[in-house]
Amino acid sequence: MSAVRARAAAAIVLATATAGAPGCVSRARGGWPSNDLLIVGYDREPDTLNRFSTHILEDIESCIVEGLTTTDEQMRVVPLLATEVPTIENGGVRLRGDGGMDVVWKLRPGVTWHDGTPFTSADVQFTVEAINGPDYNPESTDGFDRITSVETPDPLTAVVHYREIYAPYDIQFIRGALPRHVLQGRDIDRAQDYNRNPLGTGPYHVVEWKSGEYILLERVAHYWRGDAYPRIRRLLFKFLPNTNTRVNQLKNGEVHVVALAPWDKYRELAAIPSIVVARTPGNAYEHVTLNERQFTPFADVRVRRALISALDRQGYARTILDGLAPVADGPIQPVSWAYTDRIARYPFDPAKARALLDEAGWTPGADGIRARGGKRLAFTLVTQAGYAIRESLAQAIERQLREVGVDVTVELRDGTALSAIWFEGRFDAMLHWWQLPSDPELTTFFAADRTPPAGRNINYFRDDALTELLYASDRTVDRARRKALLERAQAIIADAVPEIPLYSVTRLDAVPASLANFKGNPTNTGIFWNVHEWAIR
Amino acid sequence: MGDPVSPRFLARRFVQAVPLLFLVSAVVFLLIHAAPGGPLAIYLANPNVRPADIERLRRALGLDRPLWQQYWTWLWAFVRGDWGYSFSDGRPVVARIVERLPATIELVAVALACALALTMPIGIGAAVRRGRWFDRAATIASMAGVALPAFWFGLLLQMIFAIGLGWLPSSGRATPGGGGLVDHLQHLLLPTAVLAIVLASGWSRYLRGSMIETLSQPFVAAARARGVPERRVVLRHALPNALGPLIALVTVDAALLVSGAVVTESVFAWPGLGSLFTEALARRDYTVLMAMLMLSASAVVAFNLAADVAHAIVDPRVPAS
Repeated sequence: MSAVRARAAAAIVLATATAGAPGCVSRARGGWPSNDLLIVGYDREPDTLNRFSTHILEDIESCIVEGLTTTDEQMRVVPLLATEVPTIENGGVRLRGDGGMDVVWKLRPGVTWHDGTPFTSADVQFTVEAINGPDYNPESTDGFDRITSVETPDPLTAVVHYREIYAPYDIQFIRGALPRHVLQGRDIDRAQDYNRNPLGTGPYHVVEWKSGEYILLERVAHYWRGDAYPRIRRLLFKFLPNTNTRVNQLKNGEVHVVALAPWDKYRELAAIPSIVVARTPGNAYEHVTLNERQFTPFADVRVRRALISALDRQGYARTILDGLAPVADGPIQPVSWAYTDRIARYPFDPAKARALLDEAGWTPGADGIRARGGKRLAFTLVTQAGYAIRESLAQAIERQLREVGVDVTVELRDGTALSAIWFEGRFDAMLHWWQLPSDPELTTFFAADRTPPAGRNINYFRDDALTELLYASDRTVDRARRKALLERAQAIIADAVPEIPLYSVTRLDAVPASLANFKGNPTNTGIFWNVHEWAIR
Repeated sequence: MGDPVSPRFLARRFVQAVPLLFLVSAVVFLLIHAAPGGPLAIYLANPNVRPADIERLRRALGLDRPLWQQYWTWLWAFVRGDWGYSFSDGRPVVARIVERLPATIELVAVALACALALTMPIGIGAAVRRGRWFDRAATIASMAGVALPAFWFGLLLQMIFAIGLGWLPSSGRATPGGGGLVDHLQHLLLPTAVLAIVLASGWSRYLRGSMIETLSQPFVAAARARGVPERRVVLRHALPNALGPLIALVTVDAALLVSGAVVTESVFAWPGLGSLFTEALARRDYTVLMAMLMLSASAVVAFNLAADVAHAIVDPRVPAS
């Protein structure tokens, strides 16, 4: 009998070992990706498919509902349902003498909603009225609340009147428009027919949403780009919240695409011959927020410069991040048109860190931890639990700061709890990231009057010159002038180090090697922005 | 044998359950509101959501009112059958729970049946062959089963049977858009195996212990002395007397599973109440969480009553009136 058991044990060990070898997959249970069906492993089920209501990434929605503009793989704002992006140069943006502005959107002719009704400027007007109205609760009214009215001189022209200059006007309608003929006079929050199966103008429509399991999309009959698009007939989004399950399904061929693949699975996924892991430089940056209000020693710029100098950020990028993400030096990333590299940088220099702390009056005590006036230089670094890379980074930061005499205690919290903590400012330091929209607005993160609850300045950092620059940038439409303002703002931020930037987040998307025209996207617009072009070779 | 369960007894137990459930609802309401973060925390990741938006949404969800008022509004509506709308997707809570119920019932019913099918022969066999190789093997296997974390065991089975051997789908309830009975059973196999093996590992130990104790009772010796065949002694004389602890255990486990096999459903992307609970917890969807936790509490109360009734039926010494 023991021989039987030994054979059984050997079989299990062998099976487990072969399972670990990614190249061993002999067949795809879900079928190979084809122009008939592409299966996407998605990390969560959407709350709603209404793009204005959801608080989840809009990957699925962007296949169905199109914006007047979208962002491409290089984060440029490009026209989609508009014929062009309005600018001062093309006469689409007019600055008024009263400090307001008008934006003229020219809509693409011949576009219809999926039910055949023409898409017109009345839909744009209705969208603004619904979002600003009292009866609908969208996720955000940002920008819309600065619109006084929308004129519709003809079905293909919408003139949007702003009460003040609003620089990110070009992405105002990136989430599309609400169909007036379907939603007018209705309670949109409870309009489940629309929220579960939105009427759009995009290449796909919803065939089935099976709660807890999947959403199946199918190509529409006459997409406005022509009957040749989209090339893939059906897209199936399977909800797989467990990361390991998602990766296992990818290996097994039960899913073909995993967007935002976890970094610690990169090597495992890259070894699968039928998969390509696309790396897209992102518009998010990981950093350590230093809450000056909660832990007052952070208010001293010498302490902040000492902390950043004590961290081997290049070393983190090489080891913990496996070379997947470059070191970040500020909040605006190289993918943005507003980025500048003409700013102060802080290479790894523990000796300089010690000198700065000495200069600030923090001297080492008997236990090696620095103190000043009886107060120890000891704080808590809070970060997200269950996020392997963050946990490793937090440990590395803890160790390296201890070497220069700073005591860090790492505290792990779940993601939802973390959001509440930062909103209430109840933390010393926090390791997390900000995902920025394609527009480089920094005001909410750094303006002196934008501390919670008025904004996201959770460093509680105050610099009046910076605040003035940021507000001026928000009210500047001219790209060159705005860039100059933002470059100066970036220089001030780098000099003052209100937070410790660590690395620029790279998106990893696992897609079939046979998928043509996959371009990726650095923003929350997501990888499906050009799904109509995708095809299996 | 007569009727071991009187209607008065059942009525009294139902009445006793009401204040208990009321107390549970208050405690659970306080606990989920005390957890850091709330339904609006998930909106904060988006820089376009401004404080004014958060305040507007807070008012819309009624979260700006005092906690006691929120509780009272919820309780009054709940007892009238109005379970409200999900904070997350705006759909009726009842609809969200009802659509997930079949998957959970299917998984739990099959897993419980399989677990019992494993428990009975292993528990009885180990007790009858106490100290011999079968007992030792059963002990080692059940210890391993009890010690296995369900998420790890589930992933191991996925690695072996889905990825390594390619025999079974790794997760899900059926192949999307199709799949017949065989496809359905294939999807059911791995999550059922995880639940059944973990449950049977614990249950069989209880049954073994209880059977050993019963087999040493004088009435068993008397039966043997009367020449009753050993098989009949074990199955008809000893077993009914040994089932008490197992019934209590099975019913409590069943009650907890009815509200969702949280870990197993998550690993196998099983679209039941367990995965709904995980999602609702992450999003702090208070209305869905309250409804699910009240269902769970009610299930524990109801299954405990069922256990008492079942125990009284199989063992006439137990009073149930």
